[in-house]
Amino acid sequence: MEPVIRVENLVKRYASRELGRRAAAFTAVDSVSFSILPGSTLALVGESGSGKSSVALCLACLEPVTSGQIWFDGRDVAALSERESRAVRPKLQIVFQDPATSLNPRWTVGEIVAEPLLVKGRVANRERRERAAQGLERVGLGAEYLERRPAELSGGQRQRVAIARALILEPKLLILDEVLSALDCSIQGQIANLLVELQRALGLAYLFITHDLRMAAHLADEIAVMSRGKIVEQGAVETILRGARCAETQNLLGASLVDRETEAVRER
Amino acid sequence: MSTRSRLIICVLVLGALHLGVACAGFFAPYDPATQDREHPYAPPMWLHFLDAHRGIHLRPFAYAQESQTGSFDEYEENRARVIPVRFFVSGAPYRVLGVLPLRLHLFGADVPVYLLGTDGYGRDLLSRILFGGQVSLLAGLIGAGLTLSIGLCIGAAAGFWGGWKDEVLMRVAELFLALPWIYLLFAMRAFLPLAVPPVKAFLLVVVVIGAVGWARPARMVRGIVLSAKERNFVRAARGFGATGGYLLRRHILPETANVVLTQAAVLVPQFVLAEMTLSFLGLGVPEPLPSWGNLLASLQHYNVLVSYWWMYLPALAMVPFFLGYLVLASLLQGSSRATKIEVASAGV
Amino acid sequence: MMRFLLRRLGHAAFLLLGVSVLAFAFSTLAPGNYFDEMRLNPQISAERLSALRADYQVDRPMAVRYARWAVALLHGDLGFSFAYNTPVAPMLWTRARNTLLLTGTATVLVWMLALPLGVWSAEKRGRPADVALSWATAVLLIVPDLALALGLLVLAVRSGWLPTGGMVSVGFDGFSAGQKIRDLVLHLVLPVTVLVASALPVLLRHVRAAVAEALEASFLRAAEGHGISRRRLLYRYALPAAAHPLIALFGFSLGALLSGSLLAEVVMSWPGLGPFLLEGILARDLYVVIGGVLLSTLFLVAGNFAADLLLYWADPRIRAEAAER
Ligand SMILES: Nc1ncnc2c1ncn2[C@@H]1O[C@H](COP(=O)(O)OP(=O)(O)OP(=O)(O)O)[C@@H](O)[C@H]1O
Ligand SMILES: [Mg+2]
Repeated sequence: MEPVIRVENLVKRYASRELGRRAAAFTAVDSVSFSILPGSTLALVGESGSGKSSVALCLACLEPVTSGQIWFDGRDVAALSERESRAVRPKLQIVFQDPATSLNPRWTVGEIVAEPLLVKGRVANRERRERAAQGLERVGLGAEYLERRPAELSGGQRQRVAIARALILEPKLLILDEVLSALDCSIQGQIANLLVELQRALGLAYLFITHDLRMAAHLADEIAVMSRGKIVEQGAVETILRGARCAETQNLLGASLVDRETEAVRER
Repeated sequence: MSTRSRLIICVLVLGALHLGVACAGFFAPYDPATQDREHPYAPPMWLHFLDAHRGIHLRPFAYAQESQTGSFDEYEENRARVIPVRFFVSGAPYRVLGVLPLRLHLFGADVPVYLLGTDGYGRDLLSRILFGGQVSLLAGLIGAGLTLSIGLCIGAAAGFWGGWKDEVLMRVAELFLALPWIYLLFAMRAFLPLAVPPVKAFLLVVVVIGAVGWARPARMVRGIVLSAKERNFVRAARGFGATGGYLLRRHILPETANVVLTQAAVLVPQFVLAEMTLSFLGLGVPEPLPSWGNLLASLQHYNVLVSYWWMYLPALAMVPFFLGYLVLASLLQGSSRATKIEVASAGV
Repeated sequence: MMRFLLRRLGHAAFLLLGVSVLAFAFSTLAPGNYFDEMRLNPQISAERLSALRADYQVDRPMAVRYARWAVALLHGDLGFSFAYNTPVAPMLWTRARNTLLLTGTATVLVWMLALPLGVWSAEKRGRPADVALSWATAVLLIVPDLALALGLLVLAVRSGWLPTGGMVSVGFDGFSAGQKIRDLVLHLVLPVTVLVASALPVLLRHVRAAVAEALEASFLRAAEGHGISRRRLLYRYALPAAAHPLIALFGFSLGALLSGSLLAEVVMSWPGLGPFLLEGILARDLYVVIGGVLLSTLFLVAGNFAADLLLYWADPRIRAEAAER
């Protein structure tokens, strides 16, 4: 089957400039390659600062790519200009970690969810409202939330709104950048289940970014482990979990084991 | 009282003050240019309710002033000649807001009454202060609007595009801040024509005032735009294909609203004062168009300064407006101290 | 240290250069050519005019003229006053000295008032004394400078307590040294009062805010708990902690006072840059205007540079940052 997205040798460097002087560029992503099949999930795990968000931003055309190719929808997205990429972007949506900052606090939930339609233009107000209500229903929120503002929602509800907004243009690929990290454990489970349901219903592909290997194992078909900008290990979930060869992966595994143990202790 | 209700009261009071000046023709008994050569430098007349025989009048009245023989500016109240004041009378024609022609005045009398005295040409000072307020306040309001538009555009452009454009714009802003601002104002004015008709002079003054102060608001707006454009909801909007114009209009510029409003409350009185200063020094709006500044210009003559205290009154006309704007600015400004410093610094 | 100094100096030089270019460009590009207007001026003969035209090379491109002018400027030549028919520089220097005397005195006075008052009201914040003071500053804040200057002038004229114009009395040159100083001080009182009264309220509010914030800081609360005396706490700890914003305020106060002095000088006929500039504008005396503007910029830039140095000396963080580079 043809993959939804195929990333080849992606490199991202940040040129940090200070007072006009050019400091040495910092390589955040170093020749990363992967692909995702329709309806499947790739989990990108790695410790903080390993370059996961940078990959996500590059894929979503939100940061210019230094080199490499991103094949999506039959085109190399990395080579597109800002103007050209506007046509591609709706098909590949990103959801951010902290729903508190990814929703404009001045807008109502209805406006937020329907914003992609507003940007697209030529959609009547009435229809926007209806589709916003449908979108909210899809993520388990009733129409009574349409008039609320983000400040009046809980963290989990905000993340649902963000997901509803990402889905309203019917994308093929959803990039989920640590969408669960800012949430409580029980809410994490609910949102994770919602994501699984949505994937089944809509046939979406996910790039699921996390540093929680356990959650990755729960949601993903395949796992890629990142460390210092490179993918150090990649494979099906079982292989990675059982035969982790890299120290980094073992560290991550250990971290989630420790998590589980402390939780267990807390529960007692 | 909550901040919100205080804000509403403040805006209402300020609005009423401005409305009063906008309807100057109604409150002013005379045309500001009408001269009364019989009564130069007539002192203010008091309104009385009690007459010399302790009789109470429900209708206020004034005593006629008669110039003393042999002197051109000394007057004596003639207690025998009572001038009753009438309300809602028809008088000199005027236009409300420059369009609606009317003749209705709040008060008037058969013989001229000068509640705040007259100037050297016998023009009614009350009327001149009211009409002068139109000129000065309009200059302040348009000037502030202009400055904020320039500041908003430049600040938004610098913050949004970044890179060398940002660098260049902010360097230019620094240049504008390196001059003491009154000197900058004067320098700008200096290189423009001096002897021009009143309306053109007014426009010149407005443009100069508006062009001088943009640097500080531009820097503030840039700061806000810089932080707003990194917000995730802006990124998300870019993610579904929003253009730069859309992002600015819908997400980024609304963030600057608070600062822009506060700046407006700070800049309007500052610019009214700038107009007053320019006109006072003969670089602004010329006679016969009255403005709060050129009304005071006669005080540069020693004899006017010492002999006719009421000529000083136009200087005080600004005070209630200053008070209103000061309260407004302090209510509008956020709680963070950084903005306070910026806001207050812009006030000088 | 050297690097920091050089950077700030470079910045100051950039500002001066930029303002000179701006002033020059604006003067040439503005409608109405000075030399055209001069033809109408009976004080200037036709030969003089053509000599000036040749001297200033009005027909050459602007960049060339600016370069010539800038080179002359570096030699202390500020151009020629058409109205006075003499070089501008000597006249400008005496005027600038007078302005400096006025604003300098006002700056010192306003800070001597604002610092203790600000610290005092920050300590008593929220109490009646502080509220009363803030009302008093609000009153000063809402009276326009122009009204204040004119009002004080009326008062002085009517009462006859103070001299009301100029910088010295008639016959100043014949006075003894003591009399001279007395006379100068008496003449200073009025304009300095106007300047102080117009700059004090804003400055006082800033000082109060800065010190109040420092007092709220946790380390000072801890020090208070240790039983350090109130006075010592205020002046040894809170004031230095507030040094950064206060020094930044210094440049700003200087700008405000320079701006304010223009009006005060004109109203009180103090022979400083203000009236000179005004005369220059009204007489369309190009080089007087440019010179006056440049000098006022020089004052402000120099003041800000001094503030930078103070900041460097007072704030260890900046010193550390400068050392890193
Ligand atoms: N705009 C930027 N400019 C310069 N450096 C950046 C920029 N954004 C990220 N970096 C650097 O790139 C590296 C990777 O950052 P990235 O945000 O991709 O990490 P991450 O894996 O998502 O971390 P986390 O799990 O904490 O979100 C970091 O060292 C970061 O400091
Ligand atoms: Mg990240």
